[in-house]
Amino acid sequence: MKIFPRLLLLFLLVAVLPLALFSYLNLRQDEATLRTEALGRMSGLADKKTIQVQAYLTERKREVQIRARGPQVMNAIETMPQDYAAGWHNPPYAREAAGLHEYFGRYVGEYALFYDVFLITPQGEVIYSQKREADFATNLLAGPYSETPLAQAFREVLMTLEPVISAYGHYAPSQTSALFIAAPVMVDGKFKGVFAAQLSNDLFYQVATDATGLGLSGEAIFALRDGDDVVFTTPLKYRSEAPMKLRMNPQQSSSLPMLGALSGESGAGIKPDYRGKPVVAAWRYLPELGWGMVVKVDADEVFASIAQQRVLMIEVVSGLMLFAGLLAYYFGRQISVPLEEMARTADEVARGGTNRRVDESAPGELGRFALAFNRMAENLQGLYGTLEQRIGERTRDLSATIAQLHEEIIGREQVETALRDSQSLLNEAQRLGQLGSWELNLLSGKLYWSDEIYRMFERDPAHFVASYENFLSVIHPDDREKVNQAYARSLVDRQIYDVEHRLLMADGRIKWVRERCRSEFDAAGKPLRSVGAVQDITEQKRAEDSQRIAAVAFETHEGIVIADANVNIIRVNHAFQEITGYDPDDVLGKNPRILSSGAHDKAFYAAMWRQLIDEGSWSGEILDKRKNGEIYPKWLTISTVKDGEGKVSEYVAIFSDISARKKAEEEIRNLAFYDNLTRLPNRRLLLERMSLALTASMRNQHYGAVMFLDMDRFKTLNDTMGHDYGDLLLIEVAQRIRSCVREVDTVARMGGDEFVILVEGIDSIAEEASQRAALIAEKIRSSLTTAYQLKDRLYHSSPSIGVCLYRGNEESVDVLLKHADMAMYQAKESGRNTVRFFDPQMQHAVETRAALEADLRYAVFNGQLRLHYQIQVDDEHRALGAEVLVRWVHPTRGMVSPAQFIPVAEESSLILEVGHWVLETACRQLAAWSKNELTRDLSIAVNVSAQQFKLVDFVDRVMAVLRTFDVDASRLKLELTEGVVLSDVTDVVAKMYALKSLGVRLSMDDFGTGYSSLAYLKQLPLDQLKIDQSFVRDITTDPNDAVMVQTIIDMAHNFRLDVIAEGVETEGQLAFLKQHGCRAFQGYLFSKPVPVGEFEALLGGWS
Amino acid sequence: MMRYRKFLSFVVPVLALLIILVWQYRAADQAVVRIGVLHSLSGTMAASETPLVDAVRLAVEEANATGGVNGARIEMIVSDCRSDAGYCAEQAEKLITKEHVRALFGCWTSACRKAVRPVVERHDNLLFYPVQYEGLEQSPNIIYTGAAPNQQIIPMVSWAMQQHGRRAYLIGSDYVFPRTANNIVKKLLVARGGQLVTERYVPMGEQDFDAIAGEIAAQRPDFVVNTLNGDSNLYFFRALQKAGISADVIPVFSTSIAEAELATIGPERVAGHYAVWNYFQSVDSIENRAFVERFRQRFGSRRVLDDPMEAAYIGVHLWVNAQRDAGTPDAYSVRIALGRQTLNAPAGIVAVDAETQHLWKPVRIGRARADGQFDIIWQSGRSVAPAPFPFFIPHAGRDGMAGGDK
Repeated sequence: MKIFPRLLLLFLLVAVLPLALFSYLNLRQDEATLRTEALGRMSGLADKKTIQVQAYLTERKREVQIRARGPQVMNAIETMPQDYAAGWHNPPYAREAAGLHEYFGRYVGEYALFYDVFLITPQGEVIYSQKREADFATNLLAGPYSETPLAQAFREVLMTLEPVISAYGHYAPSQTSALFIAAPVMVDGKFKGVFAAQLSNDLFYQVATDATGLGLSGEAIFALRDGDDVVFTTPLKYRSEAPMKLRMNPQQSSSLPMLGALSGESGAGIKPDYRGKPVVAAWRYLPELGWGMVVKVDADEVFASIAQQRVLMIEVVSGLMLFAGLLAYYFGRQISVPLEEMARTADEVARGGTNRRVDESAPGELGRFALAFNRMAENLQGLYGTLEQRIGERTRDLSATIAQLHEEIIGREQVETALRDSQSLLNEAQRLGQLGSWELNLLSGKLYWSDEIYRMFERDPAHFVASYENFLSVIHPDDREKVNQAYARSLVDRQIYDVEHRLLMADGRIKWVRERCRSEFDAAGKPLRSVGAVQDITEQKRAEDSQRIAAVAFETHEGIVIADANVNIIRVNHAFQEITGYDPDDVLGKNPRILSSGAHDKAFYAAMWRQLIDEGSWSGEILDKRKNGEIYPKWLTISTVKDGEGKVSEYVAIFSDISARKKAEEEIRNLAFYDNLTRLPNRRLLLERMSLALTASMRNQHYGAVMFLDMDRFKTLNDTMGHDYGDLLLIEVAQRIRSCVREVDTVARMGGDEFVILVEGIDSIAEEASQRAALIAEKIRSSLTTAYQLKDRLYHSSPSIGVCLYRGNEESVDVLLKHADMAMYQAKESGRNTVRFFDPQMQHAVETRAALEADLRYAVFNGQLRLHYQIQVDDEHRALGAEVLVRWVHPTRGMVSPAQFIPVAEESSLILEVGHWVLETACRQLAAWSKNELTRDLSIAVNVSAQQFKLVDFVDRVMAVLRTFDVDASRLKLELTEGVVLSDVTDVVAKMYALKSLGVRLSMDDFGTGYSSLAYLKQLPLDQLKIDQSFVRDITTDPNDAVMVQTIIDMAHNFRLDVIAEGVETEGQLAFLKQHGCRAFQGYLFSKPVPVGEFEALLGGWS
Repeated sequence: MMRYRKFLSFVVPVLALLIILVWQYRAADQAVVRIGVLHSLSGTMAASETPLVDAVRLAVEEANATGGVNGARIEMIVSDCRSDAGYCAEQAEKLITKEHVRALFGCWTSACRKAVRPVVERHDNLLFYPVQYEGLEQSPNIIYTGAAPNQQIIPMVSWAMQQHGRRAYLIGSDYVFPRTANNIVKKLLVARGGQLVTERYVPMGEQDFDAIAGEIAAQRPDFVVNTLNGDSNLYFFRALQKAGISADVIPVFSTSIAEAELATIGPERVAGHYAVWNYFQSVDSIENRAFVERFRQRFGSRRVLDDPMEAAYIGVHLWVNAQRDAGTPDAYSVRIALGRQTLNAPAGIVAVDAETQHLWKPVRIGRARADGQFDIIWQSGRSVAPAPFPFFIPHAGRDGMAGGDK
């Protein structure tokens, strides 16, 4: 095999195969990664979707539960059955139904969450329906609709007495598919009937099939199993069938992802969907509905990028292979061609062609090989040629002698004649042309210089002998080698010698000369003589240099235009092209006027010309137009060039594009007035606009509105998802607000998540203006409440908006903003996602509160607070201790009610001071009591506020106070409300245990009013439950409260807790409580809260 | 010399490669994740609880056969709780701190669960509790795979009242579950207009039921609700038989008698009486037939399966699937993934309710047969949502508080 094909094969194996293999594997890897990612993402979306649907259903279920426990439903279920039995056409029923109809009108309807609601007796009679479809007045256990989802839900409620979500199925009375939520109605612990609601399909479908984040082809689909079939329950994107109409048989489409979901599995994969098209899908089972859910996107869409990548990869790989192939071909040839040539030459040498040589220029080993080969051939040839050479030499010597003789005779005659004739003429010509001539006889070594050469070389012919060495000495040392070589070469290759070089004069000046010479040779190729000319080109060189420098200078980054005296462009540089966009061909020969933008008037140009003519130059900023029509600012300098006679010969204009600099200046100006992130006006510009707006309003007497807007829970977003998400949200919010108001209205960002909207000139009538302002604010609110797509995430947020109207400039800008801000806070307090108008009463309340707070602060530190003691007794009226209650005696306000000042204290953290003071005072009292036999065993109950309890060092503080007064900790009882213990379970429980370990006793205050569950209660190390007075008040009259109190007492006993009832006012209450096992009491029946002196007196009385 | 060197240059890399391969294999072999199994293998609860260990074992073996969890093999460590709640809590503590188990599977009685609960909560570990119970409880560290009250006791009493009458006699062991369960039953009787005839409690392990049988015979309630636990049931049914009380006259509805207990009591004594569970061995489904088949293949062809065993079995699978879904052993991620689990279980499709950490389960009423199996005479159409805090009892739980949200 020849060497070249072998090399090629090797290349294929070593380079191409791995490259192709690597590319293929890489592509496979990418595909696998993308697949994993897509499946992971789909799983995430499926989880999200599951939560979304579950949340929707849970909410609805909760609503049904709340209604089922509401007074309307509870009353109706008690009274309606009799009226219904008496005939539902009769007035008593009709009256009652009308009442209910109005009540439910808010929840039921075309676009409401519920389609219909029902009341059903335990016997299954549908005694009320909002819509009164065919189902009304039928029996769900025996009637025509006993097999409907509603009946099924009803039966499940009967069995479990739990709220249930029905199966989803066809519901004949509504002639559509339906989903019901049913809950038992309990009155006094007795099962009285069922309240059921039929979900509105449209809204539910919307929530379920919302395909946000699923791409173009994505959808969320739902199905249930009916027998063996899969029935799709929600509208589908690619099929027109109504919900519940499309059925599929799993035998035919056994790889449907839905089948996995319907058998209770969750998973993700690439499978064909109901169209048979491959999709990236994730499936989940929804236990609430018994449905399967599939969230999917077409595989085509997901893998589109990989397909593109594949094409790109093939292109790149083949390109690389082609390139590498060519390279390999070239280098292969470099090796194989000389080798083949050597082989051929060696062959010829062997056949006798001993004068053949190979090329030695090949690199490396090949070159060395060629050299050795040639030396070998030379030796061979040398031996071979010696004989021939000797004969040749003799012959040559003889003929040379003859020729020389002959030549000399002829030459001498000719030269002498010619010389004589032309010498003088030549000298003259040479001087004029600055051209000298010389002649060198190579046989004799004699050199002749013409007079001009002596002049040029600045050598005196009298003292200076022309010779080659002397000639070299005149040459600039750096050029000597060059000249020498050039001459030597001309003798070898018999070409004309032509060289430019420098001369170094005695005084150091440098001259440039050009030399040309021709040599003559004899027949054998031996050089005989050279004749040459030397020309002084110093001037010419200098001119060339300055031209070159000018040319380089011309091509700078500044645009240059040169025009002639008639102001026609004769030259432009490259930068000109770049800046203006014009090619030289577009402008040469034309007046620079074509560049102008028309932005300057005649006077401007006239002034420019005047200065140009008077002073020879002009510079300044000017607006010109590019070829594409864009107008741009440039800095222009024009100078005139004058010829020898002082007349203008050219104009030179130099300019630079300063649009970038201009933009930067603009930016800086914007920064001062616009918010960087949202591009909205900032506070400064807003204040400016507002003061203008107020002035305008004073003139036209129109109302305007200032709205203060704050995004709810923005900080949480920033903290949990990071600031880039926060920024994205703000940008989106800014855009949405802008799109809600007119162009003339100002939307400004005040910083953080606060925005202010200034709407001017709304109306001249106050009612109209506030109506319209409310509409605008509502529009903004609802626009900001729709979901935000922040990169890959869906985010929900809402604003709180405070609105304040203005007319004229009665209120200052600051006051208006403060009012709007106040209204916004009001909106936040009333549960966020709301619009609130500023109300002067609100301001009054705020101010009063502030005054109260200031007074309270003074009161705390100046001893205006007092403690009152309310006795707690056991069932034999023995004093157990007291609950202390704080009282405030204000020097001018008089007695301030705790209901008034405690909330103020809680808001301002003054509660910490108050709480501490109470604790200290109570402990001081305990210390005092411990010295008296009568009071030694009394305990004091102190209320602890949530804020106080949350203090990190709360336990330490309690311990410190106990130590200070040296009090037995078990005498101190801390009363915690449910609000305190419900906040942060782990922290609360830890603190409670710590307090217990000090010996302090813990009581749960107001028990029964909050939400604490049994489960939760059990985790807490409590000593006592305190039954809230609201229950005690009505135990003798309201059976509900009686049951409640009974339950609490039972529960307390179950958990081995003490129980105390507060607010005991009558003997009847006392008797009831005693009867049901309560052994401790507090209330006006025994004593109202009294100062300590009175309390102690009371003890005397008790004992 | 030359040949020797050539030989070495071949052998050394091959040996090195082999060593690396073996080491890697061994390293993979060493990855183990431990779980603890806490059941009474001795004492009064042994008969009920021992089979649960096998159910857990089957699930663990199945999980290991399909790759374990995230590359690790599951190893189960079984502790005998000796029918003593306090001792069981000590064992739980030991399993968590000494054996570093990732999760606990076990307990039968509520007393046991309540003793272990603070332990798992303190260590932020997980307990999978496989038995129906009285509800009114919820812990972030417990997954309740048995029935909540609304999935057993409540439908049981509702059905009994629909079918047999209003007068109920309550008998139970004297500890947390029967007392709390009967509190719910009493409230239910009030709600549905029923009547409580008598309520009796006996100590755990009680054997003398003659007086009680006599009382039942004398009072002739419409039905008996039996919340006895452990081997007392044997003596109770024996006493009933002795007193001549037959199932068609006064049916007994039991909460803690499944196939396993039938076998120890003697099926013919219980035949005709009722039990309510989420699962019976006689459930007719492909999944269940395969489950029974697998279990018998592993532990013997005469073994019976019952509800707590199934619940124990699916507990392990839920835990395994959650680990696999989470892809990490990180406890928090696993707990999130647990809240999303659904499973095609032998009982039917079950799903974890993330909020309560109880399961959606189907409810079934079975009538005991003389052959030790149950005839399923009623079942809920679908899985029923768990409600550990019954809705109809005011102030039983968060949802029980009026208003719901504010």
